[in-house]
Parts: sequence; structure tokens; C-alpha cells
Amino acid sequence: MAAVKRIGRELAEFEKSPLPHISAGPATDTDLFKWNVVLTAPESSPYAGGIFTLRLDIPNEYPFKAPTLSFTTKIYHPNVSNDDKGSMCLGILRSENWKPSCKIAQVLEMAAGLLKEPNVDDAVETGIAEEYKNNYEQFAKTAREWTRKYAK
Amino acid sequence: MAPSRSSRNSLQSVDLRALDYLASPSANLLCPICHSPLITPVQTRCLHTFCSACISLSLERSLTCPVDRKDLSHDDVTPAPIMIANLVNDLVVLCPNREKGCEASCARWLVESHVREDCGYAMVKCAKEGCDGMVARKDVDEDCVHEAVECEFCEFAVRKLDLESHLRECPKLSSECPHCAEPFLNPELSIHIADCPAEIIDCPASHFGCPYTCPRSEVDNHTGSCHFIALTPILQLHTERITTLELENKTIRQKLELLIPPRPLPTPSSSSSNPQDSSTNTGSSSTTRDMTSEMQDYTYHLYSEYEQLRSDVERLNAQIRELDVKQDMARINEGLRYNDEMTGMRAAINGLRMQLHWLVASRRDAPTPNSGGAGGAANRVGAGSSTNDGRRMSDSARQIVKL
Repeated sequence: MAAVKRIGRELAEFEKSPLPHISAGPATDTDLFKWNVVLTAPESSPYAGGIFTLRLDIPNEYPFKAPTLSFTTKIYHPNVSNDDKGSMCLGILRSENWKPSCKIAQVLEMAAGLLKEPNVDDAVETGIAEEYKNNYEQFAKTAREWTRKYAK
Repeated sequence: MAPSRSSRNSLQSVDLRALDYLASPSANLLCPICHSPLITPVQTRCLHTFCSACISLSLERSLTCPVDRKDLSHDDVTPAPIMIANLVNDLVVLCPNREKGCEASCARWLVESHVREDCGYAMVKCAKEGCDGMVARKDVDEDCVHEAVECEFCEFAVRKLDLESHLRECPKLSSECPHCAEPFLNPELSIHIADCPAEIIDCPASHFGCPYTCPRSEVDNHTGSCHFIALTPILQLHTERITTLELENKTIRQKLELLIPPRPLPTPSSSSSNPQDSSTNTGSSSTTRDMTSEMQDYTYHLYSEYEQLRSDVERLNAQIRELDVKQDMARINEGLRYNDEMTGMRAAINGLRMQLHWLVASRRDAPTPNSGGAGGAANRVGAGSSTNDGRRMSDSARQIVKL
């Protein structure tokens, strides 16, 4: 299967040159299509000190179909749906934007980048996005609180 | 030695995608889709290079370039420059039989012929005539391993190839028990393992929480002093009771759910008669199950009654409406009839008036000089016929006419 080979290759590559703040790998040894991802938030963001776990689901049609990324740790973020799914809204993961040449490492890098700087123009939680734009202090306060509560 | 070369050829095909490369190849030679060095490279109109198989798969899903998402069709894909193909074909790969022991490495375009003709670990047809088995090329000149040989212990015929695995389970040989290390004949081993006295087992009451483990032979010493085992009959009883209660609770909850949401309307009025039944019933049978089924029956009964009443009311409504319509029709008919009669009366009255006119006119004409005579005559006529209703009417009609 083409997908298995490519994922294996990407995994080997990722292990050889890991990205800062990101650790990732398949959840079980038998299933390459479900990854667990752990992000440590950058110091400059309101999430500083938080450790966020995510789930990466890779479809069987990969790389022709985009993987999906969801937070299993609750996070106060404009681009992460505030429900039990915690799905992350990432531009390159949309079916109309996805390209088979995109790599999982790039996806994870983008996700880590969103922790540093949310993309308010492409938000799922519009309320949080408004607050981020108009009342950053309040946003940062809630984000810090949630981080302390859920992401320690 | 002259076995034909073809009989020494391996039928094993090489999956180029699964190959491992000696050195990690330049990122420029990787296909953007499968991320491995290009295989049969092709180029698109937008000058991106892919494996031929990868771009076909991608175009099946979407007619865009997988790199820049520009429109792309199958016709826009052409073979890549030969230089690129040469570059990837010259990459040094490890033999696919490396795991079996082959340490060869060669350029990728040579690997197929290596496996087909040279690799000592590729499987080829057995050299012995009439034998269909496969054997590694390096062993092909040795004796055929597919021949049946006799096991020296059980005298059972096994293939040479399988001899090793047979010896592990030959019924005449013994193996060690994993628990007590005693040797046992293979067929008896599994029976022994089932009750080996040295096996470490849990206390028989472990499911009630006893954490004790010991060899099977010593378990009797423990059971004498184990508190959990002493309590087992009671605990068992309790578990059974809990399960029956849980079951009962579940059925009661189901009944309750059935009863609560609809809130039947006529309950208060009709419950005054039936609950006596149900209460006496529950008193006699005294099991909750009976009561709930009774309640259920009762609710159903109420429901059906309610439905029946509703249909009755509907029927009555319809009847009333029908009667209404009938009555209306009758009234209209009656009214028409009265109308007719009225016009008849009016016509009759008009006729009478005309006659009266005529009478008055003729009387006025007859005694011309005596104008008061008309009144006097009329008075006389009125006095004379005072008992007659008809005359009185015409009398008053005449006064109107006079006026």
C-alpha cells in the first residue's frame, strides 16, 4: 500500500530530524494511521508552559486526502473548536487546499505555529477570535487560565 | 553441470518502491507524492516531476497538479528527461533479500537482474527432477530438501525442510514444562501444564479481591487461612442478589419510563375506581413485577377508553353539524313558503283595495249633490255590520283611503 510506505518514510524522516516543540508518532505499533502528537507551547504565547496533546488521523487515501488534526487537551483558541472533538481548523488541511506533496511534518509545524499566532481571519470559534482582536488582555487571561487548568 | 540457466532463474519480482537505498538520495530526486526516489519519472506541463504511477493515481482523484494545483490532464504528462531517469536508476540500492542474508548492493537498474540471476538468497526451483519445491539459489546444488525422510524418533515421514519444526513437537521426544522444568513427552505436555503443581496461580477468591498468588501445590495451605475464601459463600450470595436487584431495577425503570412521559388525562377521575383493584392485587401477589404489569394494563385500558370517548365526541360533533344543516334547509324552505303566501295575501289585499276604490268612486258618483251622504251611508253600513270581521277590516281600509 502506497500510503503505508509513505507514512513510514515520513516517520523515519521525522525521527531523524525532529521539529522543536513537537513530538509525534503512531499511537500503537500496529497502526501507522493514528498518531499522537504532543505540542509544548512557545514561551511568548499565552499558552506558555502548557503541554497539549493532539490526535492526527491519516486517511487510507493519504497522500491524496488530507489528514485531520484534533486537540485532545482543551484549549482556548480561535482556530480550535471548543467541543469534545477539539478539531483544529488549519488552512492546508481543507480539501480544496490540500496537496499530496504536503508532508505531515509541515502540518504539525503549522499547528505549532497557530499556538504562537492564531489565525483570526479563519476562525472556527468566532467569539474567541473577536475577543482576540478587540480585547487581547481578556483573551490572554482566559487562555492562560485554561492552560493552567487543562494543559499542565 | 548443465542445468539450464532458466531453471536457475528466480521468479521473484522486485518491488522497486520497497527498496532500501545505500545512501539517502538527494531530496530533488524524490517524488512529491510517494516521497521515495522517482520510479519511471514523468514530467507535467508545469514542469514538476513525479513517478508515473503516482501522478496517474493523483489525476484519478483530481485533475490538478499535486504541487501547485494548476489544472492538469493526462495529456499534459510526458516522460521526464532521460537524464533524470538515469540519475534515479543509478542510485545504489541494497538487495531485497538482505534480511535473508544477501549483502549485495548495486545500481537500481541492475537489482532486478541480480535477484533473477545472481542472488544466492533468491528462491529458485528445486534442481531435483520432478520436484516442485522452491529453494534458495545457494542451496540448489545440495540434496533436495523436499524429499520425505523418516524421523529417527517416531519413524514418521516428514520433509527434510520441515524436520526441524517436527523435532520440536515429535510425540516421541520430550520437552520441558515451562513452570516446573520437568521433561514431558510432547503429547502429554499440554495435559501436564493444565495442572502443573509448580505453576503460580491466583487465589481461588481472587475475583473477590484476594491478591495472594502461589504455586498450585501450596494453594491449599492458603485457602485454609484466606479470609476471602471464608467469606465466599456470603459474597456469592450478595453478588447474586445484586444482579437480580439490578435486573429488577432495570425492568422497573423501563416501566416507569413508559408511564411517566405521556401523563394520561383521565387518570384522576377514573383512578378512583380501579386503584382499589390494583392495590388489592398488589397486596395479594406482593411482587413488584405483577404490580407494574397491572399498572401497564390499567394505563392501556385508560388509553383505549380515552380514545373511544374521543371518537364518540367526534361522531356526535358530526351529527350535530348534519342536523344543523338540515334545520337550515328546512327553515329556508319554510321562509320561501311564507314569502309566497305573503305575496298571495298582498295580491288579495290589493284586489280588495281596488274593489273598494271602485265602490267609493261609484258611490261618490251616484248622489252627486249630497256630499255628506257618503259619510252617513258608510257609517250606517259600519254600524250594521259591526259583528263581521271582514267588514270591519274593509271599513278601516276605507278610512285609510279616505285620508
